Amino acid sequence: MAVEISRELQEILNDPQSIKVLATTDPEGRPHVVFKGSLHVNEDGYLEYLEFIESSQTNKNMVHSIWFHKTVAINVKHEKQSFQIEAVPYRALIAGKEFEKRYNQVRREKGIDLSTVWLMEPLEIVEETFEKRRLEEEKAHPILKHLDLLVEQEKINEK
Amino acid sequence: MAVDKNWREKELSLKEVINKYPDVSPFIIIKTDAQRRGVDYTEAALSRVDVNVHQTVTRSFAVERSDQVDHSPFSLLLRDGTSILTGRDMVEGYRDPLVVDVVDDKIMILDDGEPLEEVFYWEKPDFYDKFTSSGKPMWHIAWARPLRIDLNPNQYCQFWETPGHGCKYCAIAATYKKSDKEQFVDLQDIDETVHEALKQPGRFTSIFLTGGTILDGEQLLDAEVEQYIQILKRVGRNFNGKRFPSQLIGTAFNKQQLQRIYDETGLMSYTADIEVLNEELFDWICPGKAAKIGYQEWKDRLYQAVDVFGRGYVNTGLVAGVEMATPKGFQTEEESLGRILEEAEELAKHGVSAVACVWNVAPGSMFFKQRTPSLEYYVKLSKGLDALRRKYHIHIDMDNYRRCGNHPDTDLSRV
Repeated sequence: MAVEISRELQEILNDPQSIKVLATTDPEGRPHVVFKGSLHVNEDGYLEYLEFIESSQTNKNMVHSIWFHKTVAINVKHEKQSFQIEAVPYRALIAGKEFEKRYNQVRREKGIDLSTVWLMEPLEIVEETFEKRRLEEEKAHPILKHLDLLVEQEKINEK
Repeated sequence: MAVDKNWREKELSLKEVINKYPDVSPFIIIKTDAQRRGVDYTEAALSRVDVNVHQTVTRSFAVERSDQVDHSPFSLLLRDGTSILTGRDMVEGYRDPLVVDVVDDKIMILDDGEPLEEVFYWEKPDFYDKFTSSGKPMWHIAWARPLRIDLNPNQYCQFWETPGHGCKYCAIAATYKKSDKEQFVDLQDIDETVHEALKQPGRFTSIFLTGGTILDGEQLLDAEVEQYIQILKRVGRNFNGKRFPSQLIGTAFNKQQLQRIYDETGLMSYTADIEVLNEELFDWICPGKAAKIGYQEWKDRLYQAVDVFGRGYVNTGLVAGVEMATPKGFQTEEESLGRILEEAEELAKHGVSAVACVWNVAPGSMFFKQRTPSLEYYVKLSKGLDALRRKYHIHIDMDNYRRCGNHPDTDLSRV
Protein backbone atom coordinates (compact mmCIF):
# COMPACT_ATOMS: atom_id res chain seq x y z
CA MET A 1 0.00 0.00 0.00
CA ALA A 2 1.45 3.38 -1.02
CA VAL A 3 0.16 5.14 2.11
CA GLU A 4 -1.34 3.85 5.33
CA ILE A 5 -4.73 5.05 6.45
CA SER A 6 -4.49 6.25 10.03
CA ARG A 7 -6.63 4.66 12.73
CA GLU A 8 -8.50 7.96 13.13
CA LEU A 9 -9.34 8.14 9.43
CA GLN A 10 -10.29 4.46 9.34
CA GLU A 11 -12.81 5.10 12.08
CA ILE A 12 -14.23 8.07 10.20
CA LEU A 13 -14.42 6.12 6.93
CA ASN A 14 -16.08 3.18 8.61
CA ASP A 15 -18.64 5.33 10.45
CA PRO A 16 -22.03 5.07 8.67
CA GLN A 17 -22.76 8.65 9.76
CA SER A 18 -19.85 10.04 7.73
CA ILE A 19 -20.56 11.57 4.32
CA LYS A 20 -18.43 9.98 1.61
CA VAL A 21 -18.03 11.31 -1.90
CA LEU A 22 -16.30 9.66 -4.88
CA ALA A 23 -15.15 11.71 -7.88
CA THR A 24 -14.18 9.99 -11.11
CA THR A 25 -13.58 11.07 -14.70
CA ASP A 26 -14.57 9.52 -18.02
CA PRO A 27 -12.14 8.99 -20.93
CA GLU A 28 -12.69 12.60 -22.07
CA GLY A 29 -11.92 13.94 -18.61
CA ARG A 30 -15.50 14.87 -17.72
CA PRO A 31 -15.91 14.73 -13.94
CA HIS A 32 -18.60 12.73 -12.19
CA VAL A 33 -19.27 12.92 -8.45
CA VAL A 34 -21.46 10.66 -6.34
CA PHE A 35 -22.14 9.87 -2.69
CA LYS A 36 -20.98 6.37 -1.75
CA GLY A 37 -22.30 5.43 1.64
CA SER A 38 -20.81 1.94 1.38
CA LEU A 39 -17.26 3.27 1.16
CA HIS A 40 -15.07 1.96 3.98
CA VAL A 41 -11.65 0.55 4.76
CA ASN A 42 -11.58 -3.24 4.52
CA GLU A 43 -9.51 -5.61 6.62
CA ASP A 44 -6.69 -5.58 4.06
CA GLY A 45 -6.40 -1.79 4.17
CA TYR A 46 -8.04 -1.15 0.80
CA LEU A 47 -10.75 1.43 0.33
CA GLU A 48 -13.80 -0.53 -0.70
CA TYR A 49 -17.19 0.46 -2.06
CA LEU A 50 -20.12 -1.50 -3.39
CA GLU A 51 -21.35 -0.76 -6.91
CA PHE A 52 -24.98 -1.70 -7.27
CA ILE A 53 -25.54 -0.48 -10.85
CA GLU A 54 -23.47 -2.19 -13.50
CA SER A 55 -23.94 0.43 -16.22
CA SER A 56 -23.56 3.48 -13.96
CA GLN A 57 -21.22 6.27 -15.04
CA THR A 58 -19.15 5.73 -11.90
CA ASN A 59 -18.69 2.06 -12.72
CA LYS A 60 -17.63 2.89 -16.28
CA ASN A 61 -15.23 5.54 -15.02
CA MET A 62 -13.77 3.15 -12.47
CA VAL A 63 -13.11 0.63 -15.25
CA HIS A 64 -11.40 3.35 -17.27
CA SER A 65 -9.34 4.27 -14.21
CA ILE A 66 -8.16 0.73 -13.49
CA TRP A 67 -7.37 0.18 -17.18
CA PHE A 68 -5.20 3.28 -17.53
CA HIS A 69 -4.06 3.84 -13.95
CA LYS A 70 -6.05 7.08 -13.61
CA THR A 71 -6.68 8.25 -10.08
CA VAL A 72 -9.99 9.03 -8.41
CA ALA A 73 -10.72 11.37 -5.51
CA ILE A 74 -12.62 10.62 -2.33
CA ASN A 75 -13.77 13.07 0.28
CA VAL A 76 -15.10 11.98 3.65
CA LYS A 77 -16.71 14.40 6.11
CA HIS A 78 -17.49 13.63 9.73
CA GLU A 79 -18.84 16.45 11.90
CA LYS A 80 -16.27 19.22 11.25
CA GLN A 81 -13.49 16.94 10.07
CA SER A 82 -12.85 16.32 6.39
CA PHE A 83 -10.24 14.32 4.47
CA GLN A 84 -9.44 14.04 0.78
CA ILE A 85 -7.95 10.79 -0.49
CA GLU A 86 -6.43 10.32 -3.91
CA ALA A 87 -6.72 6.65 -4.82
CA VAL A 88 -6.33 4.27 -7.73
CA PRO A 89 -8.63 1.31 -8.35
CA TYR A 90 -6.87 -1.95 -7.50
CA ARG A 91 -9.50 -4.55 -8.24
CA ALA A 92 -13.05 -5.04 -9.48
CA LEU A 93 -14.32 -8.04 -7.56
CA ILE A 94 -17.21 -9.58 -9.51
CA ALA A 95 -17.11 -13.27 -8.61
CA GLY A 96 -15.83 -15.73 -6.03
CA LYS A 97 -16.39 -16.31 -2.33
CA GLU A 98 -15.25 -12.83 -1.27
CA PHE A 99 -17.73 -11.26 -3.67
CA GLU A 100 -20.47 -13.63 -2.50
CA LYS A 101 -19.86 -12.62 1.10
CA ARG A 102 -20.58 -8.97 0.21
CA TYR A 103 -23.48 -10.00 -2.03
CA ASN A 104 -25.17 -11.91 0.78
CA GLN A 105 -24.70 -8.95 3.12
CA VAL A 106 -26.31 -6.62 0.56
CA ARG A 107 -29.19 -9.03 0.05
CA ARG A 108 -29.78 -9.19 3.82
CA GLU A 109 -29.49 -5.48 4.48
CA LYS A 110 -30.85 -3.86 1.31
CA GLY A 111 -32.55 -6.65 -0.65
CA ILE A 112 -31.00 -5.52 -3.95
CA ASP A 113 -28.46 -6.85 -6.47
CA LEU A 114 -24.73 -6.18 -6.35
CA SER A 115 -22.60 -5.65 -9.46
CA THR A 116 -19.06 -5.07 -8.27
CA VAL A 117 -16.97 -4.70 -5.15
CA TRP A 118 -14.37 -2.06 -5.97
CA LEU A 119 -11.09 -2.06 -4.06
CA MET A 120 -8.94 1.06 -4.20
CA GLU A 121 -5.44 1.75 -3.04
CA PRO A 122 -4.89 5.13 -1.35
CA LEU A 123 -2.04 7.13 -2.85
CA GLU A 124 -2.25 10.40 -0.91
CA ILE A 125 -4.29 11.62 2.03
CA VAL A 126 -4.82 15.29 2.85
CA GLU A 127 -6.83 16.58 5.79
CA GLU A 128 -9.28 19.17 4.50
CA THR A 129 -10.90 20.08 7.82
CA PHE A 130 -11.72 23.74 7.32
CA GLU A 131 -10.25 25.18 10.50
CA LYS A 132 -7.04 23.22 10.05
CA ARG A 133 -6.72 24.31 6.43
CA ARG A 134 -7.44 27.95 7.36
CA LEU A 135 -4.66 28.00 9.91
CA GLU A 136 -2.27 26.31 7.49
CA GLU A 137 -3.11 28.91 4.86
CA GLU A 138 -2.43 31.81 7.20
CA LYS A 139 0.90 30.35 8.16
CA ALA A 140 2.05 29.36 4.69
CA HIS A 141 0.66 32.35 2.74
CA PRO A 142 0.48 35.34 5.09
CA ILE A 143 0.35 37.75 2.17
CA LEU A 144 -2.90 36.33 0.84
CA LYS A 145 -5.57 38.18 2.81
CA HIS A 146 -7.70 41.31 2.83
CA LEU A 147 -6.02 44.31 4.41
CA ASP A 148 -9.00 45.31 6.51
CA LEU A 149 -8.60 42.09 8.45
CA LEU A 150 -5.23 43.42 9.70
CA VAL A 151 -6.28 46.83 10.98
CA GLU A 152 -7.90 47.69 14.26
CA GLN A 153 -11.45 48.62 13.32
CA GLU A 154 -11.75 51.17 16.11
CA LYS A 155 -8.77 53.15 14.79
CA ILE A 156 -10.20 53.21 11.30
CA ASN A 157 -13.56 54.35 12.50
CA GLU A 158 -12.03 57.17 14.66
CA LYS A 159 -10.72 58.96 11.59
CA MET B 1 3.22 -27.63 -34.16
CA ALA B 2 6.70 -26.68 -33.02
CA VAL B 3 7.31 -23.21 -31.68
CA ASP B 4 9.19 -20.97 -34.11
CA LYS B 5 12.15 -19.69 -32.08
CA ASN B 6 12.26 -16.49 -34.12
CA TRP B 7 8.57 -15.60 -34.01
CA ARG B 8 9.18 -12.53 -31.84
CA GLU B 9 11.27 -10.97 -34.59
CA LYS B 10 8.37 -11.18 -37.03
CA GLU B 11 5.72 -9.11 -35.22
CA LEU B 12 5.30 -6.42 -32.58
CA SER B 13 5.72 -7.64 -29.03
CA LEU B 14 2.93 -7.49 -26.47
CA LYS B 15 4.54 -4.48 -24.79
CA GLU B 16 5.01 -2.74 -28.15
CA VAL B 17 1.35 -3.25 -29.00
CA ILE B 18 0.29 -1.85 -25.62
CA ASN B 19 2.45 1.21 -26.24
CA LYS B 20 1.21 1.63 -29.82
CA TYR B 21 -2.45 1.60 -28.77
CA PRO B 22 -2.63 3.80 -25.64
CA ASP B 23 -6.41 4.10 -26.02
CA VAL B 24 -6.95 0.35 -25.74
CA SER B 25 -7.03 -1.26 -22.32
CA PRO B 26 -3.75 -3.07 -21.63
CA PHE B 27 -5.82 -5.63 -19.71
CA ILE B 28 -7.69 -6.51 -22.90
CA ILE B 29 -4.50 -6.64 -24.95
CA ILE B 30 -2.94 -9.04 -22.44
CA LYS B 31 -6.09 -11.15 -22.46
CA THR B 32 -6.09 -11.23 -26.26
CA ASP B 33 -2.50 -12.40 -26.45
CA ALA B 34 -3.05 -15.01 -23.73
CA GLN B 35 -5.99 -16.42 -25.68
CA ARG B 36 -3.97 -16.32 -28.88
CA ARG B 37 -0.83 -17.94 -27.48
CA GLY B 38 -2.11 -19.88 -24.47
CA VAL B 39 -0.55 -19.86 -21.02
CA ASP B 40 1.72 -22.20 -19.14
CA TYR B 41 2.17 -22.44 -15.37
CA THR B 42 5.34 -22.66 -13.34
CA GLU B 43 5.54 -25.04 -10.40
CA ALA B 44 5.28 -22.03 -8.08
CA ALA B 45 2.06 -20.97 -9.79
CA LEU B 46 0.64 -24.48 -9.64
CA SER B 47 1.45 -24.64 -5.92
CA ARG B 48 -1.08 -21.83 -5.43
CA VAL B 49 -3.89 -23.97 -6.82
CA ASP B 50 -6.29 -25.30 -4.19
CA VAL B 51 -8.51 -27.96 -5.75
CA ASN B 52 -11.05 -27.33 -3.00
CA VAL B 53 -11.37 -23.70 -4.11
CA HIS B 54 -10.30 -23.40 -7.73
CA GLN B 55 -11.83 -24.71 -10.92
CA THR B 56 -9.56 -27.31 -12.46
CA VAL B 57 -11.98 -29.71 -14.12
CA THR B 58 -14.44 -29.13 -16.91
CA ARG B 59 -16.47 -31.09 -19.39
CA SER B 60 -17.68 -29.13 -22.36
CA PHE B 61 -18.29 -30.01 -25.97
CA ALA B 62 -14.92 -28.49 -26.92
CA VAL B 63 -12.74 -29.15 -23.87
CA GLU B 64 -12.42 -32.17 -21.61
CA ARG B 65 -10.36 -31.86 -18.44
CA SER B 66 -10.37 -34.58 -15.84
CA ASP B 67 -9.09 -33.96 -12.32
CA GLN B 68 -6.96 -37.10 -12.46
CA VAL B 69 -4.67 -35.66 -15.12
CA ASP B 70 -3.96 -32.05 -14.38
CA HIS B 71 -4.49 -29.67 -11.50
CA SER B 72 -3.70 -26.51 -13.43
CA PRO B 73 -6.31 -23.75 -13.16
CA PHE B 74 -9.00 -23.87 -15.79
CA SER B 75 -8.76 -20.15 -16.50
CA LEU B 76 -7.85 -16.73 -15.16
CA LEU B 77 -9.34 -13.45 -14.01
CA LEU B 78 -7.58 -10.11 -14.20
CA ARG B 79 -7.81 -7.32 -11.60
CA ASP B 80 -10.50 -5.50 -13.60
CA GLY B 81 -12.75 -8.59 -13.70
CA THR B 82 -11.77 -9.54 -17.24
CA SER B 83 -11.79 -13.26 -17.89
CA ILE B 84 -9.04 -14.97 -19.83
CA LEU B 85 -10.31 -18.19 -21.30
CA THR B 86 -7.21 -20.17 -21.99
CA GLY B 87 -5.05 -22.88 -20.59
CA ARG B 88 -2.02 -25.00 -21.15
CA ASP B 89 -3.94 -27.56 -23.21
CA MET B 90 -6.20 -25.28 -25.26
CA VAL B 91 -3.75 -23.75 -27.71
CA GLU B 92 -1.22 -25.26 -30.06
CA GLY B 93 0.73 -22.61 -31.85
CA TYR B 94 4.04 -21.61 -33.24
CA ARG B 95 4.49 -18.88 -30.63
CA ASP B 96 5.48 -19.77 -27.11
CA PRO B 97 2.81 -19.21 -24.48
CA LEU B 98 2.60 -16.55 -21.80
CA VAL B 99 3.67 -17.81 -18.40
CA VAL B 100 1.91 -17.65 -15.05
CA ASP B 101 4.34 -17.48 -12.14
CA VAL B 102 4.58 -16.15 -8.59
CA VAL B 103 6.36 -12.79 -8.34
CA ASP B 104 6.69 -10.93 -5.01
CA ASP B 105 4.10 -13.29 -3.52
CA LYS B 106 1.53 -12.42 -6.21
CA ILE B 107 0.39 -14.66 -9.04
CA MET B 108 1.40 -12.82 -12.19
CA ILE B 109 1.19 -13.35 -15.94
CA LEU B 110 4.52 -12.82 -17.71
CA ASP B 111 5.75 -12.44 -21.25
CA ASP B 112 9.35 -13.23 -22.05
CA GLY B 113 10.17 -13.14 -18.32
CA GLU B 114 8.60 -9.74 -17.69
CA PRO B 115 5.67 -9.55 -15.24
CA LEU B 116 2.62 -7.94 -16.89
CA GLU B 117 -0.35 -8.18 -14.54
CA GLU B 118 -1.65 -9.91 -11.45
CA VAL B 119 -4.04 -12.79 -12.17
CA PHE B 120 -6.49 -14.80 -10.11
CA TYR B 121 -7.63 -18.37 -10.63
CA TRP B 122 -11.30 -19.01 -11.32
CA GLU B 123 -13.13 -20.37 -8.30
CA LYS B 124 -15.26 -23.43 -8.80
CA PRO B 125 -18.96 -23.27 -8.02
CA ASP B 126 -20.43 -25.28 -5.16
CA PHE B 127 -22.29 -27.64 -7.49
CA TYR B 128 -19.01 -29.02 -8.87
CA ASP B 129 -18.69 -31.24 -5.79
CA LYS B 130 -22.27 -32.54 -5.97
CA PHE B 131 -23.79 -35.52 -7.79
CA THR B 132 -27.07 -35.98 -9.64
CA SER B 133 -29.59 -38.54 -8.41
CA SER B 134 -28.35 -40.77 -11.23
CA GLY B 135 -24.89 -40.67 -9.64
CA LYS B 136 -23.08 -38.44 -12.13
CA PRO B 137 -20.74 -35.64 -11.01
CA MET B 138 -22.55 -32.41 -11.72
CA TRP B 139 -19.47 -30.96 -13.44
CA HIS B 140 -20.10 -33.58 -16.14
CA ILE B 141 -23.53 -32.02 -16.68
CA ALA B 142 -22.77 -28.29 -16.60
CA TRP B 143 -19.65 -26.22 -16.41
CA ALA B 144 -19.10 -22.76 -15.10
CA ARG B 145 -17.60 -19.46 -16.02
CA PRO B 146 -17.19 -16.98 -13.19
CA LEU B 147 -20.82 -15.79 -13.50
CA ARG B 148 -22.40 -18.19 -15.96
CA ILE B 149 -23.83 -21.72 -15.98
CA ASP B 150 -22.86 -23.43 -19.24
CA LEU B 151 -24.87 -26.29 -20.67
CA ASN B 152 -23.68 -28.28 -23.69
CA PRO B 153 -26.48 -30.82 -24.14
CA ASN B 154 -25.07 -32.28 -27.36
CA GLN B 155 -21.38 -33.06 -27.11
CA TYR B 156 -21.04 -33.91 -30.79
CA CYS B 157 -21.98 -32.24 -34.07
CA GLN B 158 -23.82 -33.83 -36.98
CA PHE B 159 -21.86 -31.85 -39.54
CA TRP B 160 -18.97 -34.19 -38.77
CA GLU B 161 -21.03 -37.22 -39.87
CA THR B 162 -20.68 -36.15 -43.49
CA PRO B 163 -17.07 -36.39 -44.66
CA GLY B 164 -15.65 -32.93 -45.27
CA HIS B 165 -18.50 -31.05 -43.57
CA GLY B 166 -16.87 -30.30 -40.20
CA CYS B 167 -15.73 -26.73 -39.53
CA LYS B 168 -11.99 -26.67 -40.07
CA TYR B 169 -10.99 -24.85 -36.85
CA CYS B 170 -13.24 -26.95 -34.61
CA ALA B 171 -12.12 -29.68 -32.20
CA ILE B 172 -15.55 -30.94 -31.17
CA ALA B 173 -15.18 -34.24 -33.04
CA ALA B 174 -11.68 -34.90 -31.72
CA THR B 175 -12.72 -33.99 -28.18
CA TYR B 176 -15.75 -36.27 -28.35
CA LYS B 177 -13.99 -39.24 -29.87
CA LYS B 178 -11.10 -39.31 -27.41
CA SER B 179 -13.42 -39.37 -24.39
CA ASP B 180 -15.92 -41.92 -23.20
CA LYS B 181 -18.65 -39.34 -22.56
CA GLU B 182 -22.20 -39.81 -23.77
CA GLN B 183 -23.27 -37.68 -26.73
CA PHE B 184 -26.39 -36.27 -25.11
CA VAL B 185 -26.64 -34.93 -21.58
CA ASP B 186 -29.70 -36.22 -19.75
CA LEU B 187 -32.50 -33.70 -19.24
CA GLN B 188 -33.19 -34.77 -15.66
CA ASP B 189 -29.47 -34.43 -14.84
CA ILE B 190 -29.51 -30.91 -16.32
CA ASP B 191 -32.60 -30.01 -14.32
CA GLU B 192 -31.04 -31.19 -11.05
CA THR B 193 -27.67 -29.55 -11.75
CA VAL B 194 -29.08 -26.13 -12.61
CA HIS B 195 -31.36 -26.30 -9.58
CA GLU B 196 -28.34 -27.05 -7.39
CA ALA B 197 -26.26 -24.29 -9.01
CA LEU B 198 -28.94 -21.72 -8.23
CA LYS B 199 -28.57 -22.46 -4.52
CA GLN B 200 -25.34 -20.43 -4.49
CA PRO B 201 -26.38 -16.79 -4.02
CA GLY B 202 -24.35 -14.25 -5.97
CA ARG B 203 -22.58 -16.78 -8.13
CA PHE B 204 -24.44 -16.77 -11.44
CA THR B 205 -25.95 -14.05 -13.63
CA SER B 206 -26.95 -16.10 -16.67
CA ILE B 207 -27.61 -19.51 -18.16
CA PHE B 208 -26.01 -20.41 -21.43
CA LEU B 209 -26.72 -23.22 -23.83
CA THR B 210 -24.83 -24.43 -26.84
CA GLY B 211 -23.81 -27.68 -28.42
CA GLY B 212 -23.24 -29.44 -31.66
CA THR B 213 -25.67 -29.09 -34.54
CA ILE B 214 -28.53 -31.58 -34.89
CA LEU B 215 -29.80 -31.53 -38.45
CA ASP B 216 -32.71 -33.97 -37.98
CA GLY B 217 -36.38 -33.15 -37.96
CA GLU B 218 -39.36 -32.54 -40.20
CA GLN B 219 -37.77 -29.23 -41.01
CA LEU B 220 -33.98 -29.04 -40.95
CA LEU B 221 -32.81 -28.48 -37.32
CA ASP B 222 -36.21 -29.20 -35.73
CA ALA B 223 -34.58 -31.78 -33.44
CA GLU B 224 -32.01 -29.24 -32.21
CA VAL B 225 -34.74 -26.69 -31.60
CA GLU B 226 -36.81 -29.23 -29.69
CA GLN B 227 -33.81 -30.19 -27.54
CA TYR B 228 -33.22 -26.59 -26.46
CA ILE B 229 -36.91 -25.94 -25.87
CA GLN B 230 -37.18 -28.91 -23.54
CA ILE B 231 -34.13 -27.79 -21.55
CA LEU B 232 -35.19 -24.14 -21.36
CA LYS B 233 -38.65 -25.14 -20.19
CA ARG B 234 -37.25 -27.30 -17.40
CA VAL B 235 -34.67 -24.72 -16.36
CA GLY B 236 -37.26 -21.97 -16.52
CA ARG B 237 -39.33 -23.59 -13.79
CA ASN B 238 -36.78 -22.31 -11.29
CA PHE B 239 -37.61 -18.66 -11.91
CA ASN B 240 -40.39 -16.26 -11.13
CA GLY B 241 -41.76 -14.77 -14.33
CA LYS B 242 -41.25 -16.04 -17.81
CA ARG B 243 -37.97 -14.50 -18.98
CA PHE B 244 -34.63 -15.14 -17.32
CA PRO B 245 -31.10 -13.98 -18.30
CA SER B 246 -30.00 -16.55 -20.83
CA GLN B 247 -28.27 -17.05 -24.14
CA LEU B 248 -28.53 -19.79 -26.71
CA ILE B 249 -25.89 -20.31 -29.35
CA GLY B 250 -27.59 -22.55 -31.84
CA THR B 251 -27.40 -23.28 -35.50
CA ALA B 252 -29.15 -20.65 -37.64
CA PHE B 253 -32.82 -21.47 -37.12
CA ASN B 254 -35.59 -20.28 -39.42
CA LYS B 255 -38.11 -17.64 -38.37
CA GLN B 256 -40.74 -20.17 -37.38
CA GLN B 257 -38.28 -22.07 -35.20
CA LEU B 258 -37.00 -18.86 -33.59
CA GLN B 259 -40.52 -17.70 -32.83
CA ARG B 260 -41.32 -21.06 -31.28
CA ILE B 261 -38.29 -20.86 -28.98
CA TYR B 262 -39.19 -17.34 -27.95
CA ASP B 263 -42.84 -18.13 -27.35
CA GLU B 264 -42.40 -21.42 -25.53
CA THR B 265 -39.39 -20.62 -23.31
CA GLY B 266 -37.89 -17.84 -21.21
CA LEU B 267 -34.84 -17.38 -23.46
CA MET B 268 -33.72 -13.75 -23.65
CA SER B 269 -30.98 -13.76 -26.29
CA TYR B 270 -29.93 -15.72 -29.34
CA THR B 271 -26.69 -16.26 -31.19
CA ALA B 272 -25.95 -18.14 -34.39
CA ASP B 273 -22.22 -18.13 -35.09
CA ILE B 274 -21.40 -17.33 -38.68
CA GLU B 275 -17.71 -17.85 -37.76
CA VAL B 276 -16.15 -16.03 -40.73
CA LEU B 277 -17.49 -12.92 -42.43
CA ASN B 278 -16.86 -13.72 -46.05
CA GLU B 279 -18.98 -15.99 -48.23
CA GLU B 280 -16.16 -17.75 -50.09
CA LEU B 281 -14.22 -18.38 -46.91
CA PHE B 282 -17.39 -19.49 -45.10
CA ASP B 283 -17.94 -22.07 -47.85
CA TRP B 284 -14.35 -23.31 -47.46
CA ILE B 285 -14.01 -23.21 -43.66
CA CYS B 286 -17.56 -24.18 -42.66
CA PRO B 287 -18.61 -26.52 -45.49
CA GLY B 288 -21.40 -28.18 -43.51
CA LYS B 289 -23.04 -24.89 -42.63
CA ALA B 290 -22.59 -23.73 -46.22
CA ALA B 291 -24.15 -26.86 -47.68
CA LYS B 292 -27.14 -27.06 -45.37
CA ILE B 293 -27.95 -23.38 -44.83
CA GLY B 294 -25.66 -21.12 -46.81
CA TYR B 295 -23.99 -17.81 -46.03
CA GLN B 296 -26.70 -15.42 -47.17
CA GLU B 297 -29.45 -17.47 -45.57
CA TRP B 298 -27.45 -17.55 -42.33
CA LYS B 299 -27.35 -13.78 -42.33
CA ASP B 300 -31.03 -13.51 -43.20
CA ARG B 301 -31.89 -15.76 -40.28
CA LEU B 302 -29.89 -13.53 -37.96
CA TYR B 303 -31.86 -10.52 -39.19
CA GLN B 304 -35.11 -12.43 -38.60
CA ALA B 305 -33.91 -13.24 -35.08
CA VAL B 306 -33.72 -9.51 -34.35
CA ASP B 307 -37.43 -9.30 -35.18
CA VAL B 308 -38.08 -12.02 -32.60
CA PHE B 309 -35.66 -11.29 -29.76
CA GLY B 310 -35.10 -7.57 -30.26
CA ARG B 311 -32.17 -5.31 -31.02
CA GLY B 312 -29.25 -5.94 -28.68
CA TYR B 313 -30.37 -9.50 -28.04
CA VAL B 314 -29.01 -11.17 -31.18
CA ASN B 315 -25.41 -11.57 -32.17
CA THR B 316 -23.08 -13.78 -34.12
CA GLY B 317 -19.67 -15.13 -33.20
CA LEU B 318 -16.53 -15.05 -35.28
CA VAL B 319 -13.53 -17.33 -35.00
CA ALA B 320 -11.44 -14.27 -35.56
CA GLY B 321 -8.34 -14.95 -37.57
CA VAL B 322 -9.49 -17.98 -39.56
CA GLU B 323 -10.17 -15.59 -42.41
CA MET B 324 -6.39 -15.53 -42.86
CA ALA B 325 -5.94 -19.31 -42.92
CA THR B 326 -3.91 -20.59 -45.83
CA PRO B 327 -4.23 -21.17 -48.68
CA LYS B 328 -7.60 -19.55 -49.34
CA GLY B 329 -7.70 -16.84 -46.68
CA PHE B 330 -6.92 -13.15 -47.08
CA GLN B 331 -3.27 -12.52 -47.85
CA THR B 332 -2.71 -9.40 -45.77
CA GLU B 333 -4.01 -8.29 -42.38
CA GLU B 334 -5.00 -4.93 -43.80
CA GLU B 335 -7.20 -6.46 -46.49
CA SER B 336 -8.66 -8.90 -44.02
CA LEU B 337 -9.65 -6.24 -41.48
CA GLY B 338 -11.23 -4.11 -44.19
CA ARG B 339 -13.32 -6.93 -45.60
CA ILE B 340 -14.38 -8.35 -42.23
CA LEU B 341 -15.40 -5.01 -40.76
CA GLU B 342 -17.30 -4.12 -43.93
CA GLU B 343 -19.41 -7.26 -43.51
CA ALA B 344 -19.75 -6.65 -39.75
CA GLU B 345 -21.13 -3.20 -40.52
CA GLU B 346 -23.82 -4.70 -42.73
CA LEU B 347 -24.82 -6.95 -39.84
CA ALA B 348 -24.83 -4.00 -37.45
CA LYS B 349 -27.11 -2.04 -39.77
CA HIS B 350 -29.62 -4.85 -39.27
CA GLY B 351 -29.18 -4.81 -35.49
CA VAL B 352 -26.91 -7.85 -35.31
CA SER B 353 -23.69 -7.52 -33.35
CA ALA B 354 -20.60 -9.44 -34.44
CA VAL B 355 -18.42 -10.63 -31.56
CA ALA B 356 -14.99 -12.15 -31.97
CA CYS B 357 -13.35 -15.10 -30.30
CA VAL B 358 -9.59 -15.14 -30.65
CA TRP B 359 -8.77 -18.08 -32.87
CA ASN B 360 -6.42 -20.41 -31.10
CA VAL B 361 -5.18 -23.32 -33.10
CA ALA B 362 -7.00 -26.14 -31.37
CA PRO B 363 -5.27 -29.49 -31.11
CA GLY B 364 -7.34 -31.99 -33.05
CA SER B 365 -8.79 -29.48 -35.51
CA MET B 366 -8.16 -29.62 -39.26
CA PHE B 367 -6.43 -26.25 -39.00
CA PHE B 368 -3.95 -27.48 -36.39
CA LYS B 369 -0.96 -26.48 -38.54
CA GLN B 370 -2.18 -22.96 -39.25
CA ARG B 371 -0.76 -19.73 -37.86
CA THR B 372 -2.95 -17.15 -36.22
CA PRO B 373 -2.59 -13.43 -37.10
CA SER B 374 -0.56 -10.90 -35.16
CA LEU B 375 -1.68 -9.44 -31.84
CA GLU B 376 -2.00 -6.06 -33.52
CA TYR B 377 -4.55 -7.56 -35.92
CA TYR B 378 -6.75 -8.59 -33.03
CA VAL B 379 -6.47 -5.21 -31.34
CA LYS B 380 -7.57 -3.46 -34.53
CA LEU B 381 -10.42 -5.90 -35.00
CA SER B 382 -11.64 -5.44 -31.41
CA LYS B 383 -11.57 -1.68 -31.82
CA GLY B 384 -13.46 -1.96 -35.09
CA LEU B 385 -16.22 -4.20 -33.76
CA ASP B 386 -16.64 -2.06 -30.63
CA ALA B 387 -16.82 1.07 -32.78
CA LEU B 388 -19.57 -0.45 -34.94
CA ARG B 389 -21.69 -1.22 -31.89
CA ARG B 390 -21.30 2.37 -30.71
CA LYS B 391 -22.07 3.74 -34.19
CA TYR B 392 -25.28 1.72 -34.50
CA HIS B 393 -26.24 1.95 -30.81
CA ILE B 394 -26.32 -1.79 -30.16
CA HIS B 395 -25.68 -2.69 -26.53
CA ILE B 396 -23.92 -5.94 -25.75
CA ASP B 397 -25.31 -6.83 -22.32
CA MET B 398 -26.09 -10.34 -23.61
CA ASP B 399 -22.45 -11.17 -24.30
CA ASN B 400 -20.41 -8.84 -22.13
CA TYR B 401 -17.48 -9.52 -19.83
CA ARG B 402 -19.76 -10.89 -17.12
CA ARG B 403 -21.53 -13.36 -19.39
CA CYS B 404 -19.17 -14.97 -21.87
CA GLY B 405 -15.87 -13.23 -21.21
CA ASN B 406 -14.44 -14.67 -24.41
CA HIS B 407 -14.66 -11.58 -26.60
CA PRO B 408 -12.03 -8.82 -26.30
CA ASP B 409 -14.21 -6.51 -28.38
CA THR B 410 -17.14 -6.71 -25.96
CA ASP B 411 -14.73 -6.13 -23.05
CA LEU B 412 -14.02 -2.75 -24.64
CA SER B 413 -17.71 -1.88 -24.34
CA ARG B 414 -17.41 -1.56 -20.55
CA VAL B 415 -16.52 2.13 -20.73
